[in-house]
Amino acid sequence: MIRRTQRLKKEYLYRKSLEGKERVNYENKRKIREALQEGKPIPTELRNVEAQLRREIDLEDENTAVPRTHIDDEYAFAAEKDPKILLTTSRNPTAPLQRFVKELSIVFPNAQRMNRGNQVVSEIIESCRSHDFTDVILVHEHRGVPDGLIVSHLPYGPTAYFGLLNVVTRHEIQDKEAVKTMPEAYPHIILDNFNTKLGERTATILKYLFPVPKPDTKRIITFANKSDYISFRHHIHEKQGGPKSVTLKEIGPRFELRLYQIKLGTVDQAEAQTEWVIRPYMNTTRKRKFLSN
Amino acid sequence: MANTNNAGAEALRRLKEVDPPSLLAPNPTLSETARAASQYLFSSIRPFSQKCPLDQLLVDGYDAEQIWHQIDLQTQPLLSTLRRRVNQFVKNPDEIAQLKVPSSVAKKVEAKNHEEWEQESDDFDEELDEDDDDEDDFEGVEKEEKNGGSDGEEEEDDDDDDDEEGSEDEDEDEEGEKEKGKGKDSGIEDKFLKINELNEYLEKEENNYENAEEADDGDEDSEEDDELEKAGEFEMDEDDEDDDEEEDEDDEEEEEEGMENARYDDFFVGKKEKSSKRKDQLVEESEDSGDEDDMESNKQKKRTASTHEKQLEKIQSEIELMEKANVEPKTWSMQGEVTAANRPVDSLLAVNLDFEHNVRPTPVITEEFTASIEDMIQKRIIEGLFNDVQRAPRLPSKAPREVKELDDNKSKKGLAEMYEQEYVQKIDPTSAPLSSKDKLKNEASMLFKRLCLKLDALSHFSFAPKPVIEDMSFQTNVPALAMEEIAPVAVSDAAMLAPEEVFDGKGDVKEEAELTQAERKRRRANKKRKFKADAVKRSEKKARSEKKEDNAIPGQVNG
Repeated sequence: MIRRTQRLKKEYLYRKSLEGKERVNYENKRKIREALQEGKPIPTELRNVEAQLRREIDLEDENTAVPRTHIDDEYAFAAEKDPKILLTTSRNPTAPLQRFVKELSIVFPNAQRMNRGNQVVSEIIESCRSHDFTDVILVHEHRGVPDGLIVSHLPYGPTAYFGLLNVVTRHEIQDKEAVKTMPEAYPHIILDNFNTKLGERTATILKYLFPVPKPDTKRIITFANKSDYISFRHHIHEKQGGPKSVTLKEIGPRFELRLYQIKLGTVDQAEAQTEWVIRPYMNTTRKRKFLSN
Repeated sequence: MANTNNAGAEALRRLKEVDPPSLLAPNPTLSETARAASQYLFSSIRPFSQKCPLDQLLVDGYDAEQIWHQIDLQTQPLLSTLRRRVNQFVKNPDEIAQLKVPSSVAKKVEAKNHEEWEQESDDFDEELDEDDDDEDDFEGVEKEEKNGGSDGEEEEDDDDDDDEEGSEDEDEDEEGEKEKGKGKDSGIEDKFLKINELNEYLEKEENNYENAEEADDGDEDSEEDDELEKAGEFEMDEDDEDDDEEEDEDDEEEEEEGMENARYDDFFVGKKEKSSKRKDQLVEESEDSGDEDDMESNKQKKRTASTHEKQLEKIQSEIELMEKANVEPKTWSMQGEVTAANRPVDSLLAVNLDFEHNVRPTPVITEEFTASIEDMIQKRIIEGLFNDVQRAPRLPSKAPREVKELDDNKSKKGLAEMYEQEYVQKIDPTSAPLSSKDKLKNEASMLFKRLCLKLDALSHFSFAPKPVIEDMSFQTNVPALAMEEIAPVAVSDAAMLAPEEVFDGKGDVKEEAELTQAERKRRRANKKRKFKADAVKRSEKKARSEKKEDNAIPGQVNG
């Protein structure tokens, strides 16, 4: 079992290393295809490999034509399988944090909450892998206020580290709110203003935490990005009146996420490669936006 | 005129002879004489006092106070003029000879007046030279002087007289005090106080006073006002001082340091140099003004100089402030690195510090922000644009079934041929000719077989060993297990080839270098023997072949 996982990891890394070559291959095939279509002579550097590439072009279908990246591998089966999420906290959580995690477990459909106890992270990941979980979410806190969120996609997938700001839990609103129950239908997702490559990456990480919804659900979860701060909002909408007017009612917790790291491994892999890490002391950080344009 | 003069002189004389105790009781005749005497004196001095608005002393129906006031009106400016003149004469004794006397006055009067002036100036000098603090003494001196001047009113109204005397005394005192200072133990002449300087200053002031009356200059008026204020202040302080000198000093220190409020202590107790500077300025100014002979030009220069000088003063005071600030140690916020020990407690709270932040500030969730988000959400809902996960189209897990088409045509191969092919396939599958399938298909199937073999080997699921193809291939000397198990769990050393196949020989194998002489000989001998045997065989062969050729019948070959 250990060796199997090691082998799979090695395969993954190997395939990632092949991406460069694959990309080159793809480019060459594309050039040849274009040349053939336009009737132009094939570029000289491709003359040797032309015959083989042409055969490959003929044998291609839609799936194989697109160059695959390790990212696609990570979320290859995500579209087909519904996500299964495990929620835990850091060690010795305070009561407010526990409440917050309980709320989050209702927000994410198909999510389970687990007491942390004194488990080591690697143990947690192992058990999750064997139980076919797709994601693990760890929530950290500072004196009762939740301040950190780690989303780890499970089969060797990427880990995204977020900082939480301006957290307003449902418990805080509980006194004023009449509604105490929350619908648990699969929600629609809105991802707004994720324009750059890094933004798209974060968007996919957040998107694949949720299953495929029915088209007529009333529940909406929004991740709105504004100058690198992602606002999480949870609403129920009702289409009242004939004209296209929609009333929104906010339920659920509300917080701002701030991405500070993406690692290309699970949480327990300390030596995993970092895809992106925040640079707060770079001189131009203040002017730049990394998740949007 | 002479009559009145004579009457006046007579009255004066009679007054002088009066017994002092009789002055204490009110006496109408004495008062008459006194009035007459004062009138006479007034008119005799009148020619010399240009500024006096009164031509003669009005005594009928006026009481003591009013008469005193009139006298004051005349004498005050006169006194300052006299002082100045005396100073001038003190400086330049030659001028005394050149002394001009107005022609309207008779010589007798002149002489008499001379005496009186001298007396007055002498008295005055005595006053100056005396060094007692006692106001009573002053009063006494002044009484003497006033007796010489206009007196007699005292017996009329004691209180008024006392007050007036008091005020007179105060006026005198103020001058005296100015000279002496409010110290407890100072004479008139200090190391700081010079009579010359004082006189110069007084001249300057007097000129200002004169100019104020003649000119319309606002500056001069203000100066005069300042002067009068100062005089007023002095009087006030005089009153206080009667009670408590210490209080005065406190008051002085509490007052602003304006020229109006300058006191001796401000200058000479040693603290404040600014005041002394100011005093120097005053002295300088008075000196400057005093040096001019012509009043007019003096006036003119003063006007221009004073505005300029005022500016200078301003700039000078600013410069002083700045120099003072530069000399002092800097405030803590101007020093470089300041720890908590080097600044006062909680002083950092008062200061607005400016830091350059390199991170964008965290967003504050305002109503507008929430509203904007909600607007965006509503828009998306109306349009129906969600970023949901889409179900991916699944790859076909099974290949489409191959539909076998029945060929209705007559088969080209005969039945015998078909049987033949089947037989060959059973015996030797490899040498069988390819069936009439697509070449591509064959290729594909071959590739797939190879792939399956590899996969099976990897997964150990269903392994079939490589099909043995009997062709002439070299057997390589590879470990046997490697051939039979593709994924070697353990690698064995057993070789493919048997040892005899690897090496065909027997016994002890020795190299050329290891051989002994005898062995070498033996080897050579064996070699020779073999060679000879081979040679014999060859020759026999040759012989046989020749014989065959001879025996051969040409043209017919068996076989």
